[in-house]
Amino acid sequence: MKLLTHNLLSSHVRGVGPRGFPLRIQATEVRVSPVDFNPDFVTRMIPKMEWTALVEAAESLGHLSELPRELAEGYEKDEEFLRKVHHVLLEVEVVEGTLQCPESGRLFPISRGIPNMLLSDEEAAS
Amino acid sequence: MFELEAACEQLSDVSLEEKQAPAEGSMESCPDFGLDPNPRPGSGPGPGPDQLCVTIGATVPTGFEQTAADEVREKLGSQSRISKDRGKIYFDISVESLSKVHSLRSVDNLFVVVQEFRDYQFKETKEDVLKDFEDLAGKLPWSDPLKVWKINTSFKKKKTKRKKLTQQNTVFKEKVDDGQGDMGDEKQLTNHTMEAVLETIENQDGTIDETPILTYNKKVSEKPSAIENKRVNEIPRDEAEPQVLKFRVTCNRAGENHSFTSNEAARDFGGAVQDYFKWKADMTNFDVEVLLNVHNNEIVVGIALTEESLHRRNITHFGPTTLRSTLAYGMLRLCSPQPTDIIVDPMCGTGAIPIEGVAEWPNCYHIAGDNNPLAVKRAANNILSLLTKSQIKESKAFWGLPIDAIQWDICNLPLRTGSVDILVTDMPFGKRIGSKKKNWNLYPSCLQEMSRVCRPGTGRAVLLTQDRKCFSKALSRMGHVWRKVHTVWVNIGGLHAAVYLLKRTSQVFIHPSELEHEKGTS
Repeated sequence: MKLLTHNLLSSHVRGVGPRGFPLRIQATEVRVSPVDFNPDFVTRMIPKMEWTALVEAAESLGHLSELPRELAEGYEKDEEFLRKVHHVLLEVEVVEGTLQCPESGRLFPISRGIPNMLLSDEEAAS
Repeated sequence: MFELEAACEQLSDVSLEEKQAPAEGSMESCPDFGLDPNPRPGSGPGPGPDQLCVTIGATVPTGFEQTAADEVREKLGSQSRISKDRGKIYFDISVESLSKVHSLRSVDNLFVVVQEFRDYQFKETKEDVLKDFEDLAGKLPWSDPLKVWKINTSFKKKKTKRKKLTQQNTVFKEKVDDGQGDMGDEKQLTNHTMEAVLETIENQDGTIDETPILTYNKKVSEKPSAIENKRVNEIPRDEAEPQVLKFRVTCNRAGENHSFTSNEAARDFGGAVQDYFKWKADMTNFDVEVLLNVHNNEIVVGIALTEESLHRRNITHFGPTTLRSTLAYGMLRLCSPQPTDIIVDPMCGTGAIPIEGVAEWPNCYHIAGDNNPLAVKRAANNILSLLTKSQIKESKAFWGLPIDAIQWDICNLPLRTGSVDILVTDMPFGKRIGSKKKNWNLYPSCLQEMSRVCRPGTGRAVLLTQDRKCFSKALSRMGHVWRKVHTVWVNIGGLHAAVYLLKRTSQVFIHPSELEHEKGTS
């Protein structure tokens, strides 16, 4: 599971709503895989991300690499910054671990890079 | 914003057959040369063989002829003619560009046209018709198409195969056994060892093209009654030129009022071809495959350029209902992915669609999800195979791809509201997976949940289903969030299905429980 994906994931336990985001990561195995850097991709993807959550996730995995807590103006032209974002979005993957709903505490396992987000019928929203 | 929309406005929900643009009698001129605008194959005035202009025919998933034509225009610069014989398009290219046709992702099979008869006059009796076919063999302009065939074959001779990493092979021997119903074809395939292989083709001009293709390893006790379209043959041929060419004739016949069968035509035409060329007939191990396609009064004689159908190219792990890659590609093209679009297949099965997506639109981000753990595992394995291909291609170790797999429930997607740009999926038909009864509940829930995660205003969905009635009914209640823009009628394994292109309206998603007029109902 890449951190870009994590940034889109939200817990859907019944009653939790938007407070199910972001999921807390606990990783027992993390892999870093190089991916071709494409500055346009990163620039256009940043607005689609929840920035604070991304930074927190990166930090929890030890890959914060000096990312600012808040987006600065004119980041589109800052290549060094974009490379760091690129690294965090695409190159860091959680292979084994868990995701935790911040509201309900429900744990979702990640195994071989695949999170299992299935809920039982009782847990799921109607 | 969408060019697609403008184009779609002109299309109604009817088969694309009726919307062919160019006049029937004209053939488009070659893109690069100021040649005769109506070149007949084999009669080009060009000085050398490289400047030869040929007509190529391609079979494509029925319903996606226009999509394929768009890809041809984009990648080869040629206009296509869409045939009345559904699932076929024709276009002209210079022989120099021949290798590029193999990079087309929307075509199942390719052939070079020997001759086309737009309005063939059949004689009255079967004997006369067959006699005409026999006579025809010696009168056709074979030489240029055969040159093309030879050049095409020479590409294959220069192919180098790379073996997959060993740990992948054990995974591929895994038998598919999840109790789901399945197609005969797919079950057979899982018993073979499959390799995802990257073949390098050295072009005449020295450039290198790589084509990922699926190859099958021969079983030790090979039975000749193997699968129809897919021959269990290793690709590398003997380097020495065979003394006598081996050939076979394949005849496809469609239409009423024919006095003959395809077998009879193939037999008699084939006999004449054999006499003419002194080739040897061989049904299974042939060099040249001659195609005789008869569709009502239209006859096309061609020579095949592809050996096995390209339509499963990226999939190494099959499931019971694996979608053809060419169809997956067509569906993706339909929604015009823009760079950085987040593309989700929430019922991905083996992952055919996201994998095609990441292969062709690597500047988008793809997510494959399914509730079935086996399906997700297969999708992940297919992604792994793709990774391996990229590794071979780029000689880089462990490079990642912009794609992830997740196990989830489509009716309860663990995704932020409005975070997805494109949803594209093959919805359960209710025949091989699920049931029609389940669809009555499933479809409305799917459409609702998809409308929640889809980005308002710019988001879109491309959905394939055979249960059109259920889908239309479910969609009719969602007019505030989904607008149907276009429908493509397709044929999936004999079933009549449809691909719907939907646009997400700018209406922000409101949970039904928050709607004031009724409590707790959706």
